[in-house]
Amino acid sequence: MRRIWGALPGPTPVKLLESLVLLVVVLVALFFLFEWAGGLLDSGGAITG
Amino acid sequence: MRVIVRRVGWGLIWVALLVFAFLAYQLFVTDFLNGRVQAEAKAELSTELEERRVELPDPEVVTIEDTAPDEPAAPTTTLAPITYVPEVAGEQGSTLGRMVIPSIDVDEVIFSGVNADTLKMGPGHMPGTPVPGQPGNAVISGHRTTYGRPFYDLDLLEGGDRIEVETATGRHVYEVRRTLIVAPDDVQVIQPLVGAWLTLTTCHPHFSAAERLIIQAELVEGPNLAYANILVAGDVHHEENT
Repeated sequence: MRRIWGALPGPTPVKLLESLVLLVVVLVALFFLFEWAGGLLDSGGAITG
Repeated sequence: MRVIVRRVGWGLIWVALLVFAFLAYQLFVTDFLNGRVQAEAKAELSTELEERRVELPDPEVVTIEDTAPDEPAAPTTTLAPITYVPEVAGEQGSTLGRMVIPSIDVDEVIFSGVNADTLKMGPGHMPGTPVPGQPGNAVISGHRTTYGRPFYDLDLLEGGDRIEVETATGRHVYEVRRTLIVAPDDVQVIQPLVGAWLTLTTCHPHFSAAERLIIQAELVEGPNLAYANILVAGDVHHEENT
């Protein structure tokens, strides 16, 4: 975490904004990953002929 | 060496957190989201069904003439007319009715369609099959372990257990006749059946989409029961409304 914070360019307010954007990107990526993996656990049960 | 061990350790901690977050999302967040949709749908159900009722086609009166099969020249007897109340499914994602299975505590609003978004809201009616209560084989699919897990205990159903479905045409009661486990692409179980049937499909086993658990139930009460019975007897040919 500390390393990622240090690698972000700009002063602290800009870093905060960048962190927020990064967090949103990670959450969206996790959402799609979880949705895809969730389909392997339970696809909804429909017959897909 | 110590650096490698530390990095591997941190890597495993992150993987564990990811798995934990995934399970929490699947088991709790999806239930929460589904619970909100179901609560809202239940509150609006009576209004939705009333709106659908207005759009229903008029009931049809079917008259059957009974002739002795070995005596074609014999006079025919006209049996009492039977009323058939038709209903067709609405657009994808619209409210279709409510399903109650008392023996496994299921009480869910059901929707039209079986795409991923619809099944997140609750059990969905498969397009191309008749609406529950109609002659033929009405197919309803639902999640087993996520999104409110409406069909979690479907495997506990036994022959004779009742499944009640309320649609715009009224209350239809089915009794479980058979349980099957099939491949996800086994379309045989959704083929039309003579009479009026309800087929429930869900993933099998728990926490896997490798197979499908199928419950098939036969109509025993409802506005179209008499019509379904004469179809079984072979007196009338029915064109399916889907």
